[in-house]
Amino acid sequence: MKLYLYGIVDSSDRIKEAIDGLRGSRVYSIPYCDIGVVVSEIDQVTQGVTQGCVLEHEAVVEKLMADFTVLPMRFRTLVDGRDNLLAMMQSYYRDFKGNLERLRNKSEFGVKVIWPADKVKENIVNRLRSDQPETSGPRRSAGTRFMKEKFERYRIDEEFQTRADQFIKAMDIFLGKFAVEKRLEKLKTEKLLLDAAYLVEKSQACDFREAFWHIKSAHPGFKFLLSGPWPAYNFVGLSKHDPARDAEQANLFAEVARSQDLVGADGV
Amino acid sequence: MGSVMTKSADVTLLEVLDRVLDKGVVISGDMVISVADVDLIYLGLKVLLSSVETMEQLRGSPFAGPMQEAR
Repeated sequence: MKLYLYGIVDSSDRIKEAIDGLRGSRVYSIPYCDIGVVVSEIDQVTQGVTQGCVLEHEAVVEKLMADFTVLPMRFRTLVDGRDNLLAMMQSYYRDFKGNLERLRNKSEFGVKVIWPADKVKENIVNRLRSDQPETSGPRRSAGTRFMKEKFERYRIDEEFQTRADQFIKAMDIFLGKFAVEKRLEKLKTEKLLLDAAYLVEKSQACDFREAFWHIKSAHPGFKFLLSGPWPAYNFVGLSKHDPARDAEQANLFAEVARSQDLVGADGV
Repeated sequence: MGSVMTKSADVTLLEVLDRVLDKGVVISGDMVISVADVDLIYLGLKVLLSSVETMEQLRGSPFAGPMQEAR
């Protein structure tokens, strides 16, 4: 039996609401100590990867988010049988606990900003030309012209990066006030000025949205996208595994395995 | 995200794909079945490619009109 994993939750309680998983499979929680792993059973590993499956995965994680703090699993995380699942939980328990504590009562917001890169460059070129107007002098050699053009391109790129940095800094000062963690990526493409994820306390979510709207209205030439609240996909960090530490937990695992037997097959 | 009003299904799908396929908890070790089957990668690539195409469309016409907000 293969188990498909949706997420780790901060409770060993059963899931109260009936949730459908991938292809209508029944979703349930398997407790491990004071946390749980949410799974459904699938027969075939080679089920197709479709947009529908991705959305089903996300729908399950979002339903869990309503009742628990959730560490969302990467799509298509499969474990071969219950023993392997419990071994995985044993190995990662401390990481999971640490992340669940850190992410409690927080959710993720995505911010994308697209700027008019062509216009920005045009503006930079015009400014550089006005600073250094062409002078009518002796005819330049091809080599000199080449070097001059190359230097101009360098200055344009440098100014382009500087303006991107300035905008992102200003925006981040504004939005960052309402976030506890962030991931910022500058200029993934020339037009995608900023691709950011902010981790926000649920109590601060309204303030964060309001700050976003202020920034958006202050930059009419830019295009903004706000998405969320999401489970904290971008903020889960697992440490590298230390075999010694894993062995240290082996005794705990033996105790837990006994308790699993007492609880029953799947803890539903 | 699923419970809130969605103004653009394409943008929302892109945001979902970006997270579910590329982020989240990654477990390493023998206990986890690898999803490195050739067929799966091929099918997965089709999903990724379609998401990249969506991004390209966005780059060509950045979040025009109702696509400014995914929620």
